[in-house]
Amino acid sequence: MSGTDTENAKSYVLVQIGDRRFALPASEVSELAPPVRLHHFPHNSPLVSGIIVRRGRLVPVYDVCPLLTGKNSPTHQFYLVARRHFGSASEPAAIPVNGDSELVTADAVQVTSPSYVSGRLMHGGESIEVLDLDRLVAFEYREKNRVEHAELNS
Amino acid sequence: MKIAAQDAVKARKARKPEAVILFNVSNQLFAIAADSVQEIRSTDSLGAALEIEQQEIPKVRHTIERGHRTYYVVNACAHFGLRVVRPTLVLMLRQIRVAVLVDKIERMAEISGLHALPRAFVGAERQWYRGLAYLEDQVIPVVSPLGFLTSQEFERLDGATAEASRHDLERAVQI
Repeated sequence: MSGTDTENAKSYVLVQIGDRRFALPASEVSELAPPVRLHHFPHNSPLVSGIIVRRGRLVPVYDVCPLLTGKNSPTHQFYLVARRHFGSASEPAAIPVNGDSELVTADAVQVTSPSYVSGRLMHGGESIEVLDLDRLVAFEYREKNRVEHAELNS
Repeated sequence: MKIAAQDAVKARKARKPEAVILFNVSNQLFAIAADSVQEIRSTDSLGAALEIEQQEIPKVRHTIERGHRTYYVVNACAHFGLRVVRPTLVLMLRQIRVAVLVDKIERMAEISGLHALPRAFVGAERQWYRGLAYLEDQVIPVVSPLGFLTSQEFERLDGATAEASRHDLERAVQI
């Protein structure tokens, strides 16, 4: 599981979100953006905290820190820009991280729970969850719908 | 890669400049196409606004009669879920029977094109906004005039207004 020289080894970007480290497949990551301005405007989409502008494109920011760590996001943060998929289409999506990121090659074992974790890898003696960004944001959306539905029925 | 880059350049060139009015609601900046606004008035000049009795659509409390048409006055703070402040201006929209209460007009501006609202946004904002403008280092939502009231809301308001008129007529006959 921790070897880096097997046929199944893939590249992952390790990021710090709150007080925990997570991995994302490097193939899904575009860049680590500096702490640029976060633009806010009224909306009621779950998890979306605003928009950053990168290379002339408007990139939505998903605040996943409370969901993953149970704590609020730190204020001064970098943004990891990855791809979010919508069927055959995709768009850039950013998540706030702190500045420490690392590119590693590792094997990940598949896991099925929670649904937004696609695997787990070992690095430096630490077990790190591999995030599935599409499932992560969909998970929060489903949760919000579930709560609203329950409130309506109560 | 080269073809995609060329397409992006063409797409940027194809964007038409558009005149917009930048306005403020509860310290939040919005834009609206200038040609969708017929008139901007002070709320002080709306003495003839009629209060309507209905609770279903709380963002609408008044109507204005203009040119034999009944305009529904939408409080933009309530519409966008912002802290309600006392509005000072009303935007009378063109081609739709809506007047919008806002705090102040910032200025006119020209935007070089609209960015589509990212798919990350899945709520009512998809009806509220035509897209986003990036102007002088600011991302500004460009509101959709058609997003202030749905056709179902118009029907309900028309029903409430007709009912109120009928009551007024009955009272007048009794007097």
